[in-house]
Amino acid sequence: MLRMLKPNAIILHKTRPQVGQEIQACIGCNECILACPAVAEPITIDMLNRETLSGSISAPIARFARACYQCGACVAPCPVGLHRDAMMLWLKVRLLSMGAEE
Amino acid sequence: MNNESDKKIVPGQQKGKPTHDQADIVIIGNGIAGLTAAVEARRLAPEKRIVIVTDQIHPTINTPALKQFAIAKLTREQLLAYPAGTERAERIHVVSSRVTEIHAQSKYVTLSNKRGFGYESLLIATGSTPQGLPENIPGRNFDGVLTLHRLQDYLDLRRRLGEVNEAIVIGGGVHAIETVMGLLYWGIRTHWLIRGKTFMGRVLDDPASEIVLNNVRRAGAIVHLETEVAGIIGRVGAVAGAITNQQEMIPCQIVLSCTGTRAATSLARSCTVPMMHKNGIMVDDKLRTSVRGIYAAGDVAALKNPQTGNYEPRAQWYAAVAQGRIAGSMMVGHSELAMQPFGVPWHATHLGELSMLTVGEPISSDPRLTTLTDTSQGGYRRMSILEDRLVGYLSLGSSQPDSLAIKRLIDEAVSIKDVTRSLLKGQFDSRSYLSNQRSHAARNMLLLNQPAAPLKREEATPTRKLPNTGELRQVAAQSQTNYVAASHPNHQLNEPQTDQLAPMAVMPFDIDEINPFSGNLPDVSFSGLDGTGLYSQGKFMQPRPGPATPPPMQPQPRSGLINGRTEQKATPNKKEASYKLWAYVNAEPEDNTGRRQNIHEGERY
Ligand code: SF4
Ligand code: SF4
Repeated sequence: MLRMLKPNAIILHKTRPQVGQEIQACIGCNECILACPAVAEPITIDMLNRETLSGSISAPIARFARACYQCGACVAPCPVGLHRDAMMLWLKVRLLSMGAEE
Repeated sequence: MNNESDKKIVPGQQKGKPTHDQADIVIIGNGIAGLTAAVEARRLAPEKRIVIVTDQIHPTINTPALKQFAIAKLTREQLLAYPAGTERAERIHVVSSRVTEIHAQSKYVTLSNKRGFGYESLLIATGSTPQGLPENIPGRNFDGVLTLHRLQDYLDLRRRLGEVNEAIVIGGGVHAIETVMGLLYWGIRTHWLIRGKTFMGRVLDDPASEIVLNNVRRAGAIVHLETEVAGIIGRVGAVAGAITNQQEMIPCQIVLSCTGTRAATSLARSCTVPMMHKNGIMVDDKLRTSVRGIYAAGDVAALKNPQTGNYEPRAQWYAAVAQGRIAGSMMVGHSELAMQPFGVPWHATHLGELSMLTVGEPISSDPRLTTLTDTSQGGYRRMSILEDRLVGYLSLGSSQPDSLAIKRLIDEAVSIKDVTRSLLKGQFDSRSYLSNQRSHAARNMLLLNQPAAPLKREEATPTRKLPNTGELRQVAAQSQTNYVAASHPNHQLNEPQTDQLAPMAVMPFDIDEINPFSGNLPDVSFSGLDGTGLYSQGKFMQPRPGPATPPPMQPQPRSGLINGRTEQKATPNKKEASYKLWAYVNAEPEDNTGRRQNIHEGERY
């Protein structure tokens, strides 16, 4: 029982289902990428969204995920109020897990 | 979105006489609802023959992003909603044609090129058509009078922008205001003609409308309220100005009509079995039309609004995606994945500097509702509350609140007692709110040695009602009984209600989801990568071992869930992780040992 007292860290970001839901709400307007200081090559939202959720991660998206430093600049411009930073975090988690497996 | 005005008839692939093909699933329209349904159906049924019939000349695009496209913030390639080639990769056969008739008894459709398709299930996802200017307006055919709806319209607009100095935008909705903002962004002097006295009278109250209009005026637009176009004047075939019903002449080079859309229901009329339709094709919450084997999704489908009880189309992106997924699973017989209620209407957008969010029924005039408003920080927020639950939320301000979390508060009828103030002040932080709820629950369990207080008092049945303005009393009574039960110390009321009310068909909301920052990263393998619980495409047509879909969701004691977590933390290994992940998908009621073995999908994200 006591184990439950262990602080289970603060929930800083969205959970996976929430990220999935956010991606479905994404209208693909590209505002987040326009605001992002880290993106260095053309990235399309369709690829980014798709690969954040599942499947293999292509090289440009992986580079972008590594470049993202969670600055949060992408959140304010989103017209739908989505959290690209949280999505990127999940992409990173996936990237790490995939890398670990290879 | 695929509209009837797209009368492009592409020559048939088959020459000559009528031919008949058979497909398992025929989808009419390759808008986002249609393609999402096709992809979802393919994911669940790798062997079915899926055909999309469309007369749209381009692949599925992010239609809400068209306004960014119009002002050249996006390239055409960036509009794609699915990566190019998705249809081929998913073996979805796309036929460029138009469906002329549905023969519902013998289950086939006829196409304009004399081809026919037999179907097992049919999805109508024909989208909407713009209303455009009234037929009798003189001059509506001059060059420069555009109805903004399709990609072609926006391509047209984009080409013209360079030579336009003054523009007229007609319409009183979100589409119009977004167009106005886009034109202002280009430095075009913009007149905005609104028929009503206020902006979006059905969604915004007067102060909110005033804030929006002032914001637009500040941005440079000239707003004409209670004004309509009486005629358009042209010079040598092109628009030179417009005359309003106020006898005013406004010079301009372009007239843009954004007067709303109608569901493209003509197919419902050309169905051999009468199909119920009014503002759209009427469907139940599993998207079934009144004709067996036929479904409708997207802008064309009229769903029951859980709050008002009216059938109305939800011409929104998010709704279309969600409906596409559900239609896809329904058509391949996975009705258990379509358990998710669509919840209340929701719209979030940016209007220049201003963020606007409306969820549910913020301006319902029902006397039993409490309305709170707040104007701090230059914004405006209005909440409609029933008892301790949110019924509607309206927010205008410099930043967008966590819109999906607020929608969730309404959809799941969570008590907002503790967050009323922060909601009202626009400082609602869903993350800390939900983690607080959790820590309270845990503390109660430990300190009081009693079941953790449930996150919500609401009954967690799939038929659970939203606060319904028509049935408010009943809901209120229900919540009271539940409250009594919840406060009873020995009552096991701690089912994870959130789990059962999966907001997305296969993406249950669960606050106990593993979290990247929770310190216990899952030790999972990515062997398959495409868990069925995911919005995934590509590379998984081969049948997988193990259960192909999460079994129907059933209640599961919360305490068991928490124990599962704890044990997982204590001894992290793959088996545990897979159990744990499954717990979040909340697949099956577990037995007392709480162990589920040999689950392959559980290892996936
Ligand atoms: S959080 Fe990441 S994706 Fe968002 S703007 Fe910053 S670097 Fe870019
Ligand atoms: S700004 Fe928001 S809606 Fe637009 S592409 Fe980014 S996440 Fe999607």
